[in-house]
Amino acid sequence: MTKTEKFKLIEKFIIENQESHYRLAYSYVRNKENALDIVQDSIFKALQSIDRLDEINYLKTWFYRILVNTSIDFIRKHQRVLVMDDEVLDGYLPQTEDRQIDLDLLDALDALSAYEKSLIILRFFEDLKIEEVAAVLDENVNTIKTKLYRTLRKLRIEIGEEN
Amino acid sequence: MKQINKLKKQYNDIEIPSELDEVVKQTIQRATITKKRRSPVKRWSLGVAVAVAMFVGSINVSPAFANSLVNIPVLGSIVEVFTVQTLTMDKETYQANLKTPAISGLDSEGLQTALNEKYIEENKELFKQFKADVADMEKVGAGHMGIDSGYEVKTDTEQLLSIARFEVNMVGSSSTTMQYDTIDKQNNILITLPSLFKDDSYVEIISAYIKDDIKQQMKDDKNAAYLTSEGADPEFHSIQANQNFYITADHKLVISFDKYEIAAGYMGVVTFEIPSDILSDVLVGDTYIQ
Repeated sequence: MTKTEKFKLIEKFIIENQESHYRLAYSYVRNKENALDIVQDSIFKALQSIDRLDEINYLKTWFYRILVNTSIDFIRKHQRVLVMDDEVLDGYLPQTEDRQIDLDLLDALDALSAYEKSLIILRFFEDLKIEEVAAVLDENVNTIKTKLYRTLRKLRIEIGEEN
Repeated sequence: MKQINKLKKQYNDIEIPSELDEVVKQTIQRATITKKRRSPVKRWSLGVAVAVAMFVGSINVSPAFANSLVNIPVLGSIVEVFTVQTLTMDKETYQANLKTPAISGLDSEGLQTALNEKYIEENKELFKQFKADVADMEKVGAGHMGIDSGYEVKTDTEQLLSIARFEVNMVGSSSTTMQYDTIDKQNNILITLPSLFKDDSYVEIISAYIKDDIKQQMKDDKNAAYLTSEGADPEFHSIQANQNFYITADHKLVISFDKYEIAAGYMGVVTFEIPSDILSDVLVGDTYIQ
């Protein structure tokens, strides 16, 4: 496959799956602007580094990994912003309307760490196979299974309390 | 698992903003542009790349070595363009990648040094400015900023060398500027646009041609988004006397406009190849343009 074909293929993948990618980013930051930023950043990073994708079959996990890492990076930075003064902070806080709509989802997923969130989203919302989740998060399959089980239990408890 | 399904439904209900599609396409386009601009360098054969790497490495390590090269006749007689300096910044949301070209092998050391120093000075200034901008941004909180600069050899024949240097600024959307230098290698002359012509009449001749061409393009292609004033008249009126240009290997004059200068942003840098026959009356000679 030539480089141009590869580029075209990735481009097609990005366009076709843009809504999934947006949702994934959104569930980390829960704010439209920030989610769009993350999607934009991820696409740019991906297309700038297509040389590092050796096997086109790994396209999906490769892109998800970039997306997840960009999101987690963003959250890290976001936390630093939290100590800043209110005026600056306001721009970064999720809009109130957004918060209303996704209240349940937020409450349940909020109790999780960014890593645990990634596990749940990738496995159950994006329907990735355990092997694929492992590839995205760069862990072995057994570790992912254990962590997923643990996270599920934690999540169920949180939901249970809410009901 | 029921709760998970409920959650999944909420996840799938996350509203997709209408601008997503646009953002995605624009980003892809921007990434493509930066990629394309870099590719000519990559297209060089591996051997040349290795040689250049060693060359650049040695020059950067040792000024003495750099000076000694000029005295080696074989190397001295080949005019080459290579990356002499790379300035980069890679902070999470601030990215700079500036590549400075340098020319080697020109007979006239004065011209060569003048150009090389200009290139280095420009990128140094650009990087300084970028660092200052980043510092300002960081004071305010956070932001995204990127800058990319580099070069492309447009023409490299026995006689002519045309180098295009580009600068891409990314703050929100991106802006691109192009600058060209065309050198007569045999006579060691830096060619300027006015120097090609007998008098000023070329400005009008070229402008008229470009205006017609814009009109034609807009008629043929709905996507040709040139800026228009009232009505459908192109906003473009006239080229500058020293408009950006380069000369192709087959001796054609190409006039270049920066992004946003005469057309909508997505058209990028726009160039027009001017047919030589409409210029023949005003040309000083047919050495460069035929």
